[in-house]
Amino acid sequence: MGLWSCNNFEYSPNQVFDRNSYKDINAGNLKRLGDGRKDDTVRFILSGDTQRSRDETIRFTKKVNEMPGIDFVVVAGDITEYGVLQEMEWISRSLSKLKAPYVAVIGNHDLTSRGREAFTHMFGPLNYSFVYGGVKFVCHDTNSREHKFNGEAPNIPWLKAEMQAQEGVSNYIAISHVPPNSADFDPGQIDDYTATFAAVPGFLASLHAHSHKYNLFYPDNSGIPYFITSAMGNEEFLLIEIINHKLSFERIQF
Amino acid sequence: MNGFNFKAICLSVLLMAGTRKANAQHLKFLIPDNAIVQLAGSIGYFSVGAGYDLFKNKRGILDFNYGYVPASKGGELNIVTAKFAYKVYEIKLKDWGKLYPFNPGFFLSYTFHPELSYRFNRNRYSSDYYRWSEALRPHLSIASEIEFKGEKLIKGLGIKAVSLYTEFNTNDYYLVNYMQNTSSLTLADIFKLGIGLRLKF
Repeated sequence: MGLWSCNNFEYSPNQVFDRNSYKDINAGNLKRLGDGRKDDTVRFILSGDTQRSRDETIRFTKKVNEMPGIDFVVVAGDITEYGVLQEMEWISRSLSKLKAPYVAVIGNHDLTSRGREAFTHMFGPLNYSFVYGGVKFVCHDTNSREHKFNGEAPNIPWLKAEMQAQEGVSNYIAISHVPPNSADFDPGQIDDYTATFAAVPGFLASLHAHSHKYNLFYPDNSGIPYFITSAMGNEEFLLIEIINHKLSFERIQF
Repeated sequence: MNGFNFKAICLSVLLMAGTRKANAQHLKFLIPDNAIVQLAGSIGYFSVGAGYDLFKNKRGILDFNYGYVPASKGGELNIVTAKFAYKVYEIKLKDWGKLYPFNPGFFLSYTFHPELSYRFNRNRYSSDYYRWSEALRPHLSIASEIEFKGEKLIKGLGIKAVSLYTEFNTNDYYLVNYMQNTSSLTLADIFKLGIGLRLKF
């Protein structure tokens, strides 16, 4: 009986790791991804809000595994509902079935309880970046409400530093959970945030989740698109492709 | 520091309960019927507690535990728990003991940690934003217990019986996840194990 296993000894739902916890998933998967220097077609999946949708996540992994040429998968926040270790372990177990490497970005639900510590232990830092195929992906925490609107989420000085011109990088993409058109985004930081992206040459798009509804909007006159993917529970994600410095996308239902 | 203060309070309460035995016979009902040590079971890496036998048939269980999870085990956490359970079946084991194979129960745990609030701050969150408590957790449990008569084990210590129990529990978080995802989660995923030792006075 599976119940009678040492793995079933739990000290608390609020413990932030256990002896079987995955560790540094993002870093491990990015190592597997590599830098894509010879890849002229960057193709990835934007999904989010896996929360209580584990059955859908299993179907999602099957669907994505059938799609050719996917370089990586992004889960843009709210991987959990309650911010607890056990949910992070369950979702990682499902996502580990993906053939392509995946990365997780922090969402507001993931910051409830001791979620910040559990996430940091299992996935890695809340703000991080990686370069693939000449595109720099800047993943960051925009869950202002969970940071008491203290002006540090989003961390704009960090974003500016990450988006400095860099050798081997011609384009930039920002990825975070809460979009700047949400009431959960610090209203005092919206203009600075969008202006930061608008000032970066080669900035292609800002990608989000959180609203559980697909949306494409332009918050300023820079022409930069801001995408919101629908939630895992709504059985929809975005396929995004970058060829020759141009971004195209497709909504995919499963 | 909070954790330390809390431990000190718990200890003094236990000590006071013990010393009152002599001079307050009318408060006798306050004196616990058993002492408990438990490992895991979602209320601490280990926990200690006092238990009461409820009802005339003494098949009701009311336990109060204090549990601790050290930082090295994913804490640091201080947890207090109040448990209720009922021993549905009692099977005599010759002259040396009893088996209680099915003891369903319910318990509440409260975890003390700076990141865990009883209620989300209403200034930042409307009442329908996050609808749960981070610190207060309701659990469902199913335990089995085997009891050995004391005289056969240790004489002269006033211990009537010693029992060992295993307890599976789940909580509201895990149940919600399970109910909505019955094909990807199993009962073995959501029920967590603890084992305990009970001394009956």
